[in-house]
Amino acid sequence: MGVINRGIRNAFRNMTRTGSIVFILAISISLALVMLLSMKAVQLKIESVKSSIGNTITVSPAGVRGFEGGGELITEDNIATISNIAHVSGIVETLSDRLTPETDTDLEASLEMGSFGKRMQEKDSAASSDSSSSSVDVPVADSTRPEPKMSINVTGTNDTSNTNALGVTSLSITSGELFSGNEDTNIAILGTELATKNGLTVGSTFTAYDTTITVIGIYDSGNTFTNSSIIMPIKTLQTLSDQAGLVSSVIVESDSMDNIATVQSDLETNLGDAVDVVSSQDTVSETIEPLENIKTITFYSLIGSLVAGSIIIFLTMLMIVRERRREIGALKAIGASNTTVILQFITESLTLTFLASIVGIIGGFAFSNPVLNALVSSSTTSSVTQPGGSGGMPGGGGELMAKAVGSAQGMQNTLNDLQTIIGFDVIIYGILAAFVIAVIGSSIPAFFISKIRPAEVMRSE
Amino acid sequence: MLEVKNVKKEFKSGDNVVSAVNDISFSVSQGKFVSIIGKSGSGKSTLLALLGALDRPTSGEIIVDKNDIAKMNENQQVKYRSKKIGFIFQNYNLIPNLSALENVMIAMEFAGVPKKAGIERAKKLLESVGITEDKHDRRPGKLSGGEQQRVAIARALANEPKLILADEPTGNLDSQTGKMIFDLLHKLSRSENTTIVAVTHDLSIAGKTDMTFKLKDGKLIN
Repeated sequence: MGVINRGIRNAFRNMTRTGSIVFILAISISLALVMLLSMKAVQLKIESVKSSIGNTITVSPAGVRGFEGGGELITEDNIATISNIAHVSGIVETLSDRLTPETDTDLEASLEMGSFGKRMQEKDSAASSDSSSSSVDVPVADSTRPEPKMSINVTGTNDTSNTNALGVTSLSITSGELFSGNEDTNIAILGTELATKNGLTVGSTFTAYDTTITVIGIYDSGNTFTNSSIIMPIKTLQTLSDQAGLVSSVIVESDSMDNIATVQSDLETNLGDAVDVVSSQDTVSETIEPLENIKTITFYSLIGSLVAGSIIIFLTMLMIVRERRREIGALKAIGASNTTVILQFITESLTLTFLASIVGIIGGFAFSNPVLNALVSSSTTSSVTQPGGSGGMPGGGGELMAKAVGSAQGMQNTLNDLQTIIGFDVIIYGILAAFVIAVIGSSIPAFFISKIRPAEVMRSE
Repeated sequence: MLEVKNVKKEFKSGDNVVSAVNDISFSVSQGKFVSIIGKSGSGKSTLLALLGALDRPTSGEIIVDKNDIAKMNENQQVKYRSKKIGFIFQNYNLIPNLSALENVMIAMEFAGVPKKAGIERAKKLLESVGITEDKHDRRPGKLSGGEQQRVAIARALANEPKLILADEPTGNLDSQTGKMIFDLLHKLSRSENTTIVAVTHDLSIAGKTDMTFKLKDGKLIN
């Protein structure tokens, strides 16, 4: 029977009190653990979001969104200006166009028109008629008008490895190969659905812009819209579409996350109002704002739980020390040192918190995800806004619209995907939290123990 | 063996200084049974606390086994209490969640006695004070007052102390049990050659000890 043994046994002297203390302390430890797990999950997600979006800035023509709006495309001079800005480490250019089957190409669109596509086509046609003869009433759905057709999107790029510039999260070649991006030859890669619809394989040719183009690869991007499109070298598309030197979007890469704001500012200064400049930081900030809020809440809740736990054990031990004042005096009178008595009480405190941590860890396992989901739910209600309307045109709205929609969906998914990771380290965290609580909570009672003099106990006899 | 020289203990009470023990001197040879009598507040318990190194005198010397305990540092006093002194309290002060055997063993644990040797000695001591083996594993709450005081005496004897200090050892017991406890202490002082200093109100008991000191207002009056 040593001091540790006595400390452990003392924890069970009054089972009702022990049960109550363990229960209350377990709630505190459980809450601390839930907050720790939530904070960890949120921190991992923030890092993941930041690394996935990268150090990029998107430059797009002012007033243009996809194939809507108006204005001037970005010119060679603009790109030269961008290249000369300090801390710019890379530029990815893209140009978008649409091919109308039978008119511009012999390809048949793989996307079905559907009610959405038809409605948008009819709106476009009606708007076009209104602007050409505003004094004449033209019915929206004219039976003499030719049946609208789905167009096929074409994207030119100088870097096929940059999937962000193509508005997708991944792009895998199912057959053939990618082009490097700097070619000026009549080659293209086709999405799987467009290739299948037209019976094209690697080496096949098709006609677009009155030119024969060779298919060098078939890709799968994981989404129907992009798999129904064509990707070709940007110089090829510029030449074929008579848009030499023009691009519809530039992804500018900064040499580090720290310089993004400087590069963004320089771009805005040098390019003026002709372009819209949006940095990934803007997107990240918007995306991770709810996450940062959750992180802040969980951090303060974690501190609060630990403080509450420490106060619970502090008050408990203080009560026990006061109650056993005579016993402490007797122990000292028969030869116990201060260290021995303090160690005995700290062991008792550790036993109580250890028991509470076991219950708390089970509670942490059970409640971490529901609590995190509740935090996410309340956070998204106040912070996340959905994109206004579909905003697209038949068959979608090009890469910028895809990015905008993708960003909003990504933000929602970012929050919905949040899950706490429960592993062996959780048990370590729980026991560590219990140890910290026990030591902090016992420190002042230990001081009181050291001040109890056996002679005072004799006088109170 | 025990020599007290001009010991004073003063306490501050507001602006006043109260002398609980006022210039006391006496000596007791080894194996004697000494009683200290006096009214409440006469300084009996304070003197006992000073002899047991539970408190420090304001001035004077307390020499036990040629060592002045008043000059010892805290660690030395802890060792002194664990090895040279045995305490017996009026309220027994046994640890409630330990068995009778463990209550005796705990004193030996503090003195550094190995566990196995401690168990054997604790059993013998309990037997010697009249606690039979069937009661060794009982907790204090399951023992009578007399039995608890016997366990406390066994605990006081655990480390073969030179000096046993007893504060009203029969104060909570009925007269018959009190007499039995007194007889036990008397017998031990003879058999173990242990010096016993007992504070008591009971003049009939005090009259049977080897020496009796009477305290009044902190002073020894005979």
